[in-house]
Amino acid sequence: MNVTAMAARFLTSVLSLLLGSAAWAAPAAPAAGIAAPSVTATHLTVQLVVPPAQIYPGQSFTAGLYFKLDPGWHVYWTNAGDSGEAPSIKWNLPADVTAGAMQFPVPKRLPLGPLVDFGYEGEVLFPIPVQVASSFKPTGQNATLGGKVTWLVCREVCIPGHADLAVTRTGAATPPATPANVDADAQLIQHFQSTLPKPLPSSGQAKFESTAKGLTLAVITGSKETSAQFFPFDQNILANAAPQTLTPLKNGVQISLVKDDNLTTAPKELHGLLVLGDGRAYEFHATPGTIASTSTAGSQGLLGIILFAFVGGAILNLMPCVFPVLFIKGLALVQSSSEERGKMRRHGLVYTLGILASFWAVVAALLILRGAGHQLGWGFQFQSPAFLALMALLLFFLGLSLAGQFEIGLTLTSAGSGLAQKSGYAGSFFTGVLAVIVATPCTAPFMGAAIGYALANSAVITFAVFTSLALGLAAPYLLLAFNPAWSRVLPRPGAWMEVLKQAVSIPIFGTVIWLVWVFNQTAGPSALVGLLSAFLLLAIAGWILGRWPAKAPATFAAAIVLLLAIAVPVLAVEKLGTPEVATATTKAGAAGTQWEPFTPELVAKYRAEGKPVFVDFTASWCLSCQVNERVVLDRPEVQQRLASSGVALIRADWTRHDEVIAQTLAGLGRSGVPTYAFYPADTNKQPQLLPEVLTPGIVFNALDAVKNSGQSSGLRAQVSEPASPGR
Amino acid sequence: MKSYRRILVVAFALLTTLSLQAIRVGDAAPDFTGTDSHGQTHKLSEYKGKYVVLEWTNNGCPYTIKHYSSGNMQSLQKQWTAKGVVWLTILSSAQGGQGYMTATQENAYIAKVHADPTAALLDPNGDIGHLYAAKTTPHMFVIDPSGKLIYDGAIDDHPTTDTADIPASKNYVSAALAEAMAGQAVATAYTRPYGCSVKYWGY
Repeated sequence: MNVTAMAARFLTSVLSLLLGSAAWAAPAAPAAGIAAPSVTATHLTVQLVVPPAQIYPGQSFTAGLYFKLDPGWHVYWTNAGDSGEAPSIKWNLPADVTAGAMQFPVPKRLPLGPLVDFGYEGEVLFPIPVQVASSFKPTGQNATLGGKVTWLVCREVCIPGHADLAVTRTGAATPPATPANVDADAQLIQHFQSTLPKPLPSSGQAKFESTAKGLTLAVITGSKETSAQFFPFDQNILANAAPQTLTPLKNGVQISLVKDDNLTTAPKELHGLLVLGDGRAYEFHATPGTIASTSTAGSQGLLGIILFAFVGGAILNLMPCVFPVLFIKGLALVQSSSEERGKMRRHGLVYTLGILASFWAVVAALLILRGAGHQLGWGFQFQSPAFLALMALLLFFLGLSLAGQFEIGLTLTSAGSGLAQKSGYAGSFFTGVLAVIVATPCTAPFMGAAIGYALANSAVITFAVFTSLALGLAAPYLLLAFNPAWSRVLPRPGAWMEVLKQAVSIPIFGTVIWLVWVFNQTAGPSALVGLLSAFLLLAIAGWILGRWPAKAPATFAAAIVLLLAIAVPVLAVEKLGTPEVATATTKAGAAGTQWEPFTPELVAKYRAEGKPVFVDFTASWCLSCQVNERVVLDRPEVQQRLASSGVALIRADWTRHDEVIAQTLAGLGRSGVPTYAFYPADTNKQPQLLPEVLTPGIVFNALDAVKNSGQSSGLRAQVSEPASPGR
Repeated sequence: MKSYRRILVVAFALLTTLSLQAIRVGDAAPDFTGTDSHGQTHKLSEYKGKYVVLEWTNNGCPYTIKHYSSGNMQSLQKQWTAKGVVWLTILSSAQGGQGYMTATQENAYIAKVHADPTAALLDPNGDIGHLYAAKTTPHMFVIDPSGKLIYDGAIDDHPTTDTADIPASKNYVSAALAEAMAGQAVATAYTRPYGCSVKYWGY
């Protein structure tokens, strides 16, 4: 924000404060039967809405309090959330006329940094039931319904306001033969009546259970719900800003809610509002208990996701991250092609087992971490500099061995990737393990969605999805091992194998370069010296092993040097690591397109300004992300279209773990990068996700779609302008 | 590899428990160090043995203004600091946000409104604010001499901006201090704080 904008904002706030206290408006006495004029206050206009033209004994009708707000400003729901206050009215009514409680239409979540408020933007009408007793006698010709309305209107700052409102209608001693309405008011009430929540359908049911972290709420609505938000009527029960995790049920939805830190006893009931994706909204009082059918997750969706996970796993074999391991796997296959079929099959199975075991280990770790409430995404290993260093060292050492410096099989048979190089079942097993570890950072198409789905679901589903992913990854190798016809295509073993083995070291060293680059970005250049020194130590260890093969003292010396090589970078990370802000990839594009660093507030700000937002969730350790950026997003014609389309460009850099980005990804149903999201300016519309492999065509189509939807719905408000408001 | 993975899991689990440390009444109040408007540093743990009140403020916020224009906050500060309570006013508004004050501005403001806190801590990065999950201005915390958080929430029971409501309001901070000093349990130890959202950096 520049200085002038800041000064302008400050000035506005000061002015608003002054004006706010002057928001008193003398109630004009309008002629009976005319819609009451609205009172204009700071950042809003407010109006008392009274549909009937006559007030007479025994009458009951719905009045309303109508607010029209300046863009970006909001008033509050009955539970305002973390800050704010709902509007209220103190009535001044003729004798025998009584007003009931103000009713609150369906609110929306208004995030403000770490806080979440509940309220309304655009315009809102709070219906109020009014009763006229049969004993009512008008004093004079008219009946004036009035009251003092107080409110709090907020954007970045809050301004309290109040106004005296009054509406005069014809007073009648007896019910008129033809009751008349003031059309404008009647239309307003009618228009907004539909914005009120409804009770659950008679077949519906709402139950909740207390968990360690909060509450699990199950609501039966009669249909499968895939999108829902819960709003608590009572304060101090839930952590308002916490993400709500959904599990669709076949006839409803289950939501995991995080309780307020200070809530010590389980609530006796949960009075809440459930807002569904299609706009339906139900108000209910949930009671403690479980619903018998809650565990029946949408099985069709689950099958689809498991299938996706399998395909995603298979495609993972082709991703650049797995490329070096594919070479190793190819090598292993070549070696085993001379062996008899049965043994090859068993090798294939053991390789599969290695992949399964690694995925299960990751599942276990993820479940433990998720259980602890940590919002972690796939690829988290590559956010740890120590892990990066160890991976680089491992691959470098493996590269040295492959290049021919020494033979792992003769000496350190159990060290690191030597395991993968080892012939026999252990070798196959650890080749599988290695394939998984290296595959992690590149979430192939489908895989992100599958993991997002799995993380948001029960342990059993997570387990099933990850198992399916593992089987997908193992499938090509397994097929080859089980299909002798295909393995005949493989060349016979011979001297060329040594050449191939040495050639394999080239992509391995390439991967090392990439890991070192990523390490440098997460740990800083000082720690990099430690890692590079460790490479030297590894080279020395390799030389010792190669110079005196299979000699116990040499092996011992090499082991000591190896330990040193591992210790140096880990210590360097601790002592010299510089935690830089992860802005490495947040830089201006080739054609000058500026990517702004991600905050949820920035996205909200642009959408409030009516601008669609494109968010590039990326990380420097994610090769697919880099490829997409270089090959598609930074291409001149793409840059030009992005620049001219009025879309705000935001880059969320996840190179270092960032809780906010992790939660945003979770909110999009994803848990890894790359993720590309188009947020329409209309905040009621869901963000649109692009595939993980981009082409310029995909980006252009998405831009066109966003543009069109922006034109057809000019209003950001929750409800559109009434047909003829009469003002 | 296996053992390293185990270390990784343990490390992450440890990090997780640290980052999830919640502000809960009855638990130890997290320690912090802050710099006041005179450049002096204050460390919460140095005030062990005394009651400490934390008051989040933003002098542009109508809810804060309610308690300063009426003199309510100043008299609370005088009343309780006279009884040995350490009263720390904390400004977590980011630079450019409503309520952000330089040290000079804050000193001038304190003099102008006759405020009397022990110190006014400038927290424009929101470190202390986020540590305590301070939501609104005002948002009040009371810490007892053992360092335990005994009150977290609103200043009183009238969530309005109208100074006329103050005389009829029950002040939760005074109640908590009076009860704790009398050796009683704090009857209302947690309420929903009311006011403007804290204008943290980043939005």
